[in-house]
Amino acid sequence: MLIKRSDRPVRQTHLAAFAEGQGLARLDRRSFLRRSGLAAAGLATIGALPLANMRKARAGPPPAPGATVEIRKNVCTHCAVGCTVTAEVSNGVWIGQEPSFDSPINRGSHCAKGASVRELVHSDRRLKYPLKMVNGEWQRASWDEAISAICDKIMQIRGTSGPDSVYWLGSAKFTNEGAYLFRKLGAFWGTNNTDHQARICHSTTVTGVANTWGYGAMTNSINDMRNAKTLLYVGSNAAEAHPVAMQHMLEGKELNNANMIVVDPRMTRTAAHATDYVRLRPGTDIPFLYGLMWHIVKNGWEDKEFIQSRVYGYDDVLKEIEKWPPDEVERVTGVPGAQVEHIARLFATEKPATLIWCMGQTQHTVGTANVRTSCILLLLTGNVGKPGTGANILRGHDNVQGATDVGLDIVTLPFYYGLKDTAWKHWSRVWQVDYDWFVSRFDSKEIMEAPGIPLTRWFDAVLLPKDQVHQKDNVRAMFVQGHASNSITRIPESLKALAKLDLLVVVDPHPTTWASLSVKAGRKDGTWLLPACTQFEAKGSRVASNRSLQWGEQIVKPSFEAKDDLEIMYLVAQRLGFADKMFKNIKVENNLPEAEDILREMNRGSWSTGYCGQSPERLKLHMANQKDFDLVTLRATSGPAKGDYYGLPWPCWGKPELKHPGTALLYNTNLHVMDGGGTFRARFGVERDGVNLLASGSYSLGSEIQDGYPEFTYGVLKKLGWDHDLAPDELATIQQIGGDKADAVSWSTDLSGGIQRVAMKHGCLPYGNARARMNAFGVPDPIPVHREPIYTPRVDLVAKYPTRQDEVQFRLPNIGFSVQKSAVDRQVAKQFPLILTSGRLVEFEGGGEETRSNPWLAELQQNMFIEINPADAGERGIVNGAWVWVTGAENSSKAKVRALVTERVGKGVAWMPFHFGGWFGGEDLRPNYPEGADPIVLGESANTMTTYGYDPATGMQEPKATLCQIAAA
Amino acid sequence: MSSLAAAIRNIAGACVLAGLTMLSSPISAQEQTQQPATTIINPTAQGVTEQQLLQQEPRITGRIIIPDKRAAVLIQPAGREWRAFHEIALRWIAAIAILGMLVILVAFYLTRGMVRLESGRSGRTIVRFNAFERFVHWMTATCFIILGLTGLNITFGKKLLMPLMGHDAFSTWSEWAKYAHNYLSFPFTIGVVLIFLMWLGGNIPNKTDVEWLKRGGGIVGHDHPPADRFNAGQKAVYWIVVLGGAAVAISGYVLIFPFYGTDIGNMHAAHMVHSIVAVLFFAVMLAHIYIGTIGMQGAFEAMGKGTVDVNWAKEHHSLWLEKEVKADKLPEQDLRSTPAE
Amino acid sequence: MARMKFLCDAERCIECNACVTACKNEHEVPWGINRRRVVTINDGLPGERSVSMACMHCTDAPCMAVCPVNCIYTTDDGVVLHDKDQCIGCGYCFYACPFGAPQYPRLGNFGSRGKMDKCTYCAGGPEPTGSKEEYEKYGANRLAEGKLPLCAEMCATKSLLAGDGEVIEQIFRERVDQRGYSSGAWGWKTAYGEEVSKS
Repeated sequence: MLIKRSDRPVRQTHLAAFAEGQGLARLDRRSFLRRSGLAAAGLATIGALPLANMRKARAGPPPAPGATVEIRKNVCTHCAVGCTVTAEVSNGVWIGQEPSFDSPINRGSHCAKGASVRELVHSDRRLKYPLKMVNGEWQRASWDEAISAICDKIMQIRGTSGPDSVYWLGSAKFTNEGAYLFRKLGAFWGTNNTDHQARICHSTTVTGVANTWGYGAMTNSINDMRNAKTLLYVGSNAAEAHPVAMQHMLEGKELNNANMIVVDPRMTRTAAHATDYVRLRPGTDIPFLYGLMWHIVKNGWEDKEFIQSRVYGYDDVLKEIEKWPPDEVERVTGVPGAQVEHIARLFATEKPATLIWCMGQTQHTVGTANVRTSCILLLLTGNVGKPGTGANILRGHDNVQGATDVGLDIVTLPFYYGLKDTAWKHWSRVWQVDYDWFVSRFDSKEIMEAPGIPLTRWFDAVLLPKDQVHQKDNVRAMFVQGHASNSITRIPESLKALAKLDLLVVVDPHPTTWASLSVKAGRKDGTWLLPACTQFEAKGSRVASNRSLQWGEQIVKPSFEAKDDLEIMYLVAQRLGFADKMFKNIKVENNLPEAEDILREMNRGSWSTGYCGQSPERLKLHMANQKDFDLVTLRATSGPAKGDYYGLPWPCWGKPELKHPGTALLYNTNLHVMDGGGTFRARFGVERDGVNLLASGSYSLGSEIQDGYPEFTYGVLKKLGWDHDLAPDELATIQQIGGDKADAVSWSTDLSGGIQRVAMKHGCLPYGNARARMNAFGVPDPIPVHREPIYTPRVDLVAKYPTRQDEVQFRLPNIGFSVQKSAVDRQVAKQFPLILTSGRLVEFEGGGEETRSNPWLAELQQNMFIEINPADAGERGIVNGAWVWVTGAENSSKAKVRALVTERVGKGVAWMPFHFGGWFGGEDLRPNYPEGADPIVLGESANTMTTYGYDPATGMQEPKATLCQIAAA
Repeated sequence: MSSLAAAIRNIAGACVLAGLTMLSSPISAQEQTQQPATTIINPTAQGVTEQQLLQQEPRITGRIIIPDKRAAVLIQPAGREWRAFHEIALRWIAAIAILGMLVILVAFYLTRGMVRLESGRSGRTIVRFNAFERFVHWMTATCFIILGLTGLNITFGKKLLMPLMGHDAFSTWSEWAKYAHNYLSFPFTIGVVLIFLMWLGGNIPNKTDVEWLKRGGGIVGHDHPPADRFNAGQKAVYWIVVLGGAAVAISGYVLIFPFYGTDIGNMHAAHMVHSIVAVLFFAVMLAHIYIGTIGMQGAFEAMGKGTVDVNWAKEHHSLWLEKEVKADKLPEQDLRSTPAE
Repeated sequence: MARMKFLCDAERCIECNACVTACKNEHEVPWGINRRRVVTINDGLPGERSVSMACMHCTDAPCMAVCPVNCIYTTDDGVVLHDKDQCIGCGYCFYACPFGAPQYPRLGNFGSRGKMDKCTYCAGGPEPTGSKEEYEKYGANRLAEGKLPLCAEMCATKSLLAGDGEVIEQIFRERVDQRGYSSGAWGWKTAYGEEVSKS
């Protein structure tokens, strides 16, 4: 009994023996440094050495003897940094993840989510087959049954209420191809009620930034932040939301001895590494930013030359700046005057300086105004269009930038063409479908050109009286493919709408809170759950925050009965009877449309945004040669993609054959357009009230027009005499498109790409060369002004800084003003004295169902909590870790969570992470999930507590500033 | 050497803790400090350093998001001191105590020999321990011996036994030994509790004990100081068993249920108390075994059969015998136990 | 011969827990066992620093010394490994370990904690390299494949360094020289008996 395995070999020696052979001996110094991940200061160059002498990777469960191990690359689905995921696959099983050292974006790194994505595919908590709700029970269904029943129902709704009564809620988790196809599906169905997460993420950024200088995206790149001397974070917690981005930021900080300034109501994990931390009251970004500008202008630190040549509306903004002297800034924001001056000095004088923002700025009723103010600060100091500068806007979802670009949106067709008939005609040509057919699909031409309903208000569209919903009828069906419900504010309201919907379809790898809350709402029928696969089981392109497109390979086939998003869309289109038209130019095999073909179709129509040069072949070439790209400039210095920027960051002009390298930094006049140079876009005309809107004496390197110029049309080419450079086939296409108005055919509607090619041949930007607008006329509050949050504790400030008047926006009334007034009148702030704000945890993403189902992540955050300052906790007798009731200002909302007593939040402020779901008002909804598909960790949703408030320009919700009360439970 | 000194300090501290409050007072690194008064807050410059923290506290504790709060202790250099205790100090203490006791006993045996019945056997016996008492004693004793040996195995086994048994066999034995040690702790504890209750009456120290002690218990020479049912020596054994048993039991349960309301520092302390008390206990019990067996003629019968010869009782527990006689508990004639001599 | 060490640069650590899940992923470590963890000191205050910690593979490892059955051993690379077949689950290594590295399958155990589990420096265990048994008991053996521990390889900010002690020490020193501040090489002195020397 005492003897076991006495014949076992002596153990201490085997590793040593192995090392003498081939194991450790191979770990020479170079590999070692590389493997230690090291591009530390002096050793930076070593980080780029190729992987030498490494044995074929094999980790995770050992593959069966004799089985081969394949390496496949995809892109992490958890944020927009764009980390490459390197998978080892054996016999169709994903057996391990290896660091992606070659990627210039993540250089092998991941965060908690990225390092655990393998589990998403293997998870046994995924939806395994279609489910329908029958008499309050989840029942298994077949795909055929599901698709036909769903489509029949929505056809019936269409018959009685029109196409706008079906809401198509898509996803930033789609590939570009998926998002584009979903928008196309909406267009073919006949509605603009097609939206996705960008609405609640960076819709305000896109609108605010595009209205300032042309395009609604991050101007520079995360890698480029390595060049910055001053990094100002206003409303970004990169350490938790974009952890791998912190690698570049912190290395840059160390190498340049850079100033890293974090402005946030919370002392975040990002702030822990800052050189300056500024605590401000939630919702007062505009006064703070104007406070900086007040010092800049007063001290003459503004970039006068830049303003003179490239900026419009400076004088208008000056008037507003003057309203924010230090004492008023301190009164409103709570930031001491000396600190504001200190930050202003750093930002304006220690250049290059960049401004980084995220949800902290965007998720407000003043979101668009917030980002516009940020842009104004950048313009004032000339910090745009150069390395180390710019608006470094960190996007949230892995493809939220792409899904926005491809138009999965309520205000535009793909690539920001808008909804006017010119836009519809452009896409009719690209899709080769008769324009009049589209008109016939809609209730009216008027509604066809009217922006749809923002997803933030889907429940208002269900619940409001019919006469207040400015379309034929209320929304009656929600077709939700890849969107959480708990990331949308005012959950108690959405619960009422869930009860009223005729049809709820949820297409997702997980049941999501749509499922658990719909049961809570009392739905007994008319609910479907269809299993979609993850993007690791699909292929396609996705756009990282820096506008780089990355092609992901399919790692493994979809698990269980899950289907590719593209296939599901095809099946729906087929059943609805327009698949032939919709997939006219797209190859479909076994019901699965080919992603490459969809991208090619996008290439053919996306001239406005420069998605025209990124052919699938070029993207795949980049993924295969990642190691050739420079860490800082992102430009390939060797190899087959030499000269290209990594992922061909859009705009990548012209046809793929033109080999435009992409644009790593937007609006950089120090480069030739064919090297990725640019100017501010001429999007808003050439002059206004006699004031020039075009640039003066500023132009991109090598431009033959050495001054501002408007966007290029065939007519402009003719005036310049450059029309002779057009090839005959290009000219023919232009004339075919323009007919008798060929002069009006522009760089963005010319399907031949000829106008772009010729403009660039002369060193010009196809979109023109204009001034960036400090005064964004046409946008609500063209000069941004401070407006108190709807629910503010500072009722004394409401009279001076009220929110905007009630108004109908996006087919619905926005009654923010009435709500604010009522809250002040009813003294809500007395009953709910704490400011409630929300944010992200590194372990979870979005609504969180997917990540809360992953045991490797769920183990790390097992409880929903609220952060509360020790002083506030002390007053309420709350101890750390105890259960508390949080009560909210609307709908008698309440939530039972654990208290995290911490100085991280200031007195008077409480903070909740927004990833939890599956509880409501203290009730555990676990039984509402289909059996075996409930996430491991459930908890109250922060959005149960959030309240009314919508940005006038985009319909953005207000999850970052409301009021609550907390009591020991 | 400093680590040894520290270990000894710890032992001292541990003994103070002997009752083992078991109530931990987790040291929070979250102790609230006021935000600096200055308006400029530079978190980079304010970063805590390892050196600074270790100067303030013996270990570095922070916040951790997983529920396992033990994991919140980042660095506890005291682990190395505990190791010094376990590997060096404890071995010396145990070796000196146990070997020292054996040496004393052997020397005593050689000089004094077995304490014989001076008056010979009377042939009449008297009940000294009833069946229940004997059961409790032997249950406790058996557990004690196994616990002691398996405990010593943890401390000395790898030096003494492993070379003899081989690595694998020793591991297997040690694993079983660990199970035995853990599970036998329960009957042992019950035994100690019963012993405490059962014999408490006879073990309250009194004046007789002073006299008995003054006369050295009669161990040297042929003196027979009067004693009640338990003499002062036996009373000492009783209290050592009760108090030592309680100490090893309580500290042992802290070790069996680790980190239930205790932190790593409490665990170190519990282990130190447990191991030191245990080896001293073991050494004392060697003497007890000696005196109950080869050390004294007629003593083993008390726990063996439950009866003793009246002459033995007269010599060693004269006061007790008197009471028993008065109480008429002495059988008139007990021919069954007529000795052979 | 290389002497493998870990070094966590707290000026870089952002508590993203990539090291934790990378470890779980690579070795399929079950719920409740945390071979690596991140501890945050002064949480929520401006001096806050986070440190990723696992077995430091100490010089003169205390766990090895106190193990009553000598199941812990050091490889020629300085990696501290153990033999689960010999482990008796006594828990002594946890008491001795300055870093809280040893883990046990049953936390609130009576009688047995189960076999100790800890960071293997991605170097497997005593079973044949690359075998199924080695994977199931100890996890992957990356070191034998010429790779470093996945936690360090996947660290989001290159905060956690793994590799030959001299090399990572040099890297850390260069960083500190460059940026001019450091909160120290956490645990280095306790584990290896020496501070990172000044350059």
